[in-house]
Amino acid sequence: MAELDKWLATIRISWSRQLAYKLNFLLLVIGPTLVFFFVKYNLWRSIFALEGVTTIQGYDLKAMLHYQIWGMIVGFLAQGFQNMNLAEDIRLGRISSYLVYPFGFWQFHTAGFIAFQALQTLVAFVTLAILRGTGMLDAWNWFGLLQGVGFSLLMGFFWYQVSFVLGLAAFWLEETWVLRVMFVTIAQFMSGAILPLEIYPGWLVRILQWTPFPYLTYVPVKIFMGTWEGSILQGLGTVSVWLVLVGGLSYAVWRRGLRLYTAAGM
Amino acid sequence: MHGLMRYWGVYREFLANAFAEASSYRLHFVLLIVMDQLFYFSSLGSVSFIFDHVNAIGPWERDEFMFFTAFMLAVDHLHMTFISESFWNFSFDLRTGRLDFVLLRPLNTIFSIFFRYIRPATMINFVTPWAFLIHFGRAVDLGVGQWVSVPFLVVASLVFLVSIEILISMLMFWTVEAFGINFLRMQLQNISRWPDFVYRGVARRFFTLVIPVLLVGSAPVKAVLNPEEDASGLLWMLIGLVLIWVAIRFVWKLGLRSYESASS
Repeated sequence: MAELDKWLATIRISWSRQLAYKLNFLLLVIGPTLVFFFVKYNLWRSIFALEGVTTIQGYDLKAMLHYQIWGMIVGFLAQGFQNMNLAEDIRLGRISSYLVYPFGFWQFHTAGFIAFQALQTLVAFVTLAILRGTGMLDAWNWFGLLQGVGFSLLMGFFWYQVSFVLGLAAFWLEETWVLRVMFVTIAQFMSGAILPLEIYPGWLVRILQWTPFPYLTYVPVKIFMGTWEGSILQGLGTVSVWLVLVGGLSYAVWRRGLRLYTAAGM
Repeated sequence: MHGLMRYWGVYREFLANAFAEASSYRLHFVLLIVMDQLFYFSSLGSVSFIFDHVNAIGPWERDEFMFFTAFMLAVDHLHMTFISESFWNFSFDLRTGRLDFVLLRPLNTIFSIFFRYIRPATMINFVTPWAFLIHFGRAVDLGVGQWVSVPFLVVASLVFLVSIEILISMLMFWTVEAFGINFLRMQLQNISRWPDFVYRGVARRFFTLVIPVLLVGSAPVKAVLNPEEDASGLLWMLIGLVLIWVAIRFVWKLGLRSYESASS
């Protein structure tokens, strides 16, 4: 019970911190996803209008725009977390306090992630309501919506866990933002966030099937759209395996990193 | 002339410092190179994959579109090498009050803020965007005059983009946490990486007339590809540039009045 109180208190504080600078939250978290969507929405509308094509790899204009809309929702739910403070905590020696506090470093950051994810879920549902209200999105299947949200939240946790490992690289590196930008660039390109994977060459799609990237955007979008032909349980199983692997890696990196930690500034 | 030499001398020191710092963190140096390459190839790959399924987008076929993308990557390369880092440090300077020391220097403050930090690792990466620019320039069959104009237009685009960004970054004077403004700046760059005909209606007018990021790449590339008909876009860029710098002078003075010199 005491442990739960610590989690709840940290989540509450993180929620307030996220919203302390509202313009910053808007520009830092919501802005990039909205602009990414804006560019793709315009691009595909132009391709269909200017080129006069009716379908591209099975997508007509409406299906393609719906793909981009659901891609934005998945972006909010699964790919928003930045984890920028983590590396700074290590570099500036601030993790020393976590080593003596009765609430661990991973727990603290994970509670922060949960607060962030709760905010993002709220943003995603408000966006969905606006899109439905303006007629940009058709009525959805509630069960499909629930499945999509569940899958996206799981991917959000995977994204967080990867960000956590990349942040831990601060034990060895002066700057870790490069790793984060590399991961985001690769993930956006390979997850189907820019283009649906049907547009990609066959050889690349076959390679991607062995990676977790399609699960970051393509699969949850297809689940939301009700066009995912694979088994959701199998998808969840695959993601869980990747999650366990990344979780194990972060534990190992944390243990090794602590041996190098010099508590700068203490 | 004397003033110009003095500033060149200062800039040489900035360069020397940047190289000294870069050689201290070698893994970071290598990772920066890899990061840029990933960005270049994913940008070009995305456009190329689209053109596997369509013959043209608007007035441009694959080679013209890829030339535009390579042109924007060349602009981005110069931006990342010589300017980008300074914007992030500006937000830090404002938040921590470190701007006080910049204001006290016997140098133009805007020069001191926005040209101070250079990223040598990115400098090395010039091969990729310029190789693609040359490759697709050959594919669209540029003439001698067009080839000669390309490097100047890349620099002109960079100057125009940076001017817009300096104006946007002045907003940091009025925000407590300025990180978001830098993200806004990056999103405007994202919008400029696609040609203007991709956007329609209000969006196109807004990003051409109010925040003219669509002029950054579209005006010069159209002028290169079709100089007889589209060179007027460059005139609009010039007019825009003058207006932006008038606005920068005005907003800079306003901003300095709001600057609270934190921790001082």
